[in-house]
Amino acid sequence: MMCESQQPGGGSQGEGTSSPARARIGLLRHVPLILGAVLMLFPLWWMVVVSLETEQRAGMAMLGGDVVQVWPEDPQWHNYTDAMREVGSTPWISFLDALANSIVVTVSVIVGTVLSCSLVGFAFARVRFRGRGGMFLLMLATMMLPAQVTMIPLFLLFRSMGWVDTLLPLIVPAFFGSAFNIFLYRQFIAGIPEALLEAGRLDGLGWVGLWWRIVLPLCTPVTAIVAVFSFIYTWNDFMSPLIYLHSESNYTLAIALNSFRTQYAGLEDVHLLMALSVATMIPCILLFLAAQKQFIEGLGSGAVKG
Amino acid sequence: MADVRLQAVTKMFPGGVTAVASCDLVIPDGQFTVLVGPSGCGKSTTLRMIAGLETASSGTISIGERIVNDVPPRDRDVAMVFQNYALYPHMSVERNLRFPLERRRKTSFWKSLLFGSERAARQAESVAISERVAAAATQLEIDDYLHRLPRELSGGQRQRVALGRALVRDPKVFLLDEPLSNLDAKLRIAMRAELRALHRRLGATMIHVTHDQEEAMTLGDVLVVMKDGVIHQVGPPSEIYDRPADRFVAGFVGTPPMNLLEGDVRGTDFTSSSGVVFTAPVGTAEGAAVLGIRPESIRLSHNGGVSATVTSIERLGDRMDVVFDIDGISMIGRCEPSELIEGQPATITFDVAHVFDAGECGARRGKGG
Repeated sequence: MMCESQQPGGGSQGEGTSSPARARIGLLRHVPLILGAVLMLFPLWWMVVVSLETEQRAGMAMLGGDVVQVWPEDPQWHNYTDAMREVGSTPWISFLDALANSIVVTVSVIVGTVLSCSLVGFAFARVRFRGRGGMFLLMLATMMLPAQVTMIPLFLLFRSMGWVDTLLPLIVPAFFGSAFNIFLYRQFIAGIPEALLEAGRLDGLGWVGLWWRIVLPLCTPVTAIVAVFSFIYTWNDFMSPLIYLHSESNYTLAIALNSFRTQYAGLEDVHLLMALSVATMIPCILLFLAAQKQFIEGLGSGAVKG
Repeated sequence: MADVRLQAVTKMFPGGVTAVASCDLVIPDGQFTVLVGPSGCGKSTTLRMIAGLETASSGTISIGERIVNDVPPRDRDVAMVFQNYALYPHMSVERNLRFPLERRRKTSFWKSLLFGSERAARQAESVAISERVAAAATQLEIDDYLHRLPRELSGGQRQRVALGRALVRDPKVFLLDEPLSNLDAKLRIAMRAELRALHRRLGATMIHVTHDQEEAMTLGDVLVVMKDGVIHQVGPPSEIYDRPADRFVAGFVGTPPMNLLEGDVRGTDFTSSSGVVFTAPVGTAEGAAVLGIRPESIRLSHNGGVSATVTSIERLGDRMDVVFDIDGISMIGRCEPSELIEGQPATITFDVAHVFDAGECGARRGKGG
């Protein structure tokens, strides 16, 4: 987040300035960055601190009391296990169900999105067929439609298929691609040298073979971006599970979290709510940290490849 | 190995651009044939049609006895080396070499999980593949970096791997699409020699595409000179050089290029458009014509000849390229090093001349050469 910009010739520019002065300028440059970081991290810090407070102090914090400290005097680590135990109607089981459902949905969506979007992106980038340009524009046009517009028709469609209160409406659409991700893949694949695909054809690959053995492995940077975006979106998705999932055993973590909040109607047990929120967020943070290198590389290489 | 025949092959791209026009060509079995011509002459398109990467709009392409117009690239038994190497960047050198062989396995991975006999056959196949890869790697001296990724190799090493990938397949025909153009001058000359040696060793049919006429002359058993989708001449390098079929071939082959002077033949005299009179080769038909004089055939003379002025000199060590001005006609000559000075007069002679019909691609005329 905080990086020094190194410009060619920067040394000669600063030759007249003494090094302590330069250090002061560097420090000054960091002040807005640090302020920005503090601002962004404040809600996260507040959530973590409240999750470790006692029930009473957390409740007071919610009411705007000044009891929140930089770090709790006596961190209540058991809040986390308490929260997980008290989700839903069955201790532990409801939480584990929700966790398993979230994992199943998220992994399936990532796999579906990567496979379908890269395949369609490959077709748009490399396969010449009648109406390709028109179809691509039509696909891009679907990005202009707000999700709310298709919500009811989709619900009716899935209800007619008998998929309501199953995980299928959350998973299956991912296997049919999404416009933005297809666009990302298409742009990246258009930059892969044609000769590589021709070499593949001479080596005995058909279209599917070219996609699977050459194009998909070369798309790793885009795949990292798409996978991280899909993970964060699906893991945190609240609206779709709320619409389609009715039984507690089918809940995902986002819904389980919500039912936890209403279960305690109001501001009681806010420490448990925060504890569960932190626990839910940890996989996202870990994934981002693990994929950070690929992710940032991907953003760069996607931009200049061509 | 096999010969390659093209009969009346035409390639038209959408939009009406004719890349190759009614091309008839026989590429003999085991020969090193070079398609050469300026950019956009249709040489790469011809090669790609032989490979199956482009479909011919009309005409017949045969490899050996088989007509391959409708045969997909993988079944044509040809291997291609691309200008930019086209190595799979995510695979090690070894995997790059194995890949074409793995794709042609006769045994099934899934069956080998179920049946012992299939498993044994597959293992034997794997051993055979490894042996072929090792043999190709040794032949091209790339065994030391089999486990590296292509991006960890130099240009020359990558080119060897690209050749190796073609070599392991043991194809009927090797197609080389400007494989040396990305290499620096020194390496290019070294790789030329290696390509020649490889061809001698394998005795395979090789078709090489280049726009570099020097590369073509040094590599090819047979040269095919093309321009605007049309074949202008087919023949061994010496014939192309000594007896160019037309004005285009004459001007294209040779460095520096042949001097071409427009004018008229009357009797034994050739009068250039600027009025300078030269002696035409014996037996040349009369009329408007183009006289061609190779720079190497121009010599400085102390015993009479044509008077000229030295316009510029490029000294190349063992020789020098001199531009002479003969009454407004500019001619380049490749001469022995001497004490010539720019702006000074000189006397030159030349003894081998070619005469072509007038026009951009005028045909060779008479007995010149």
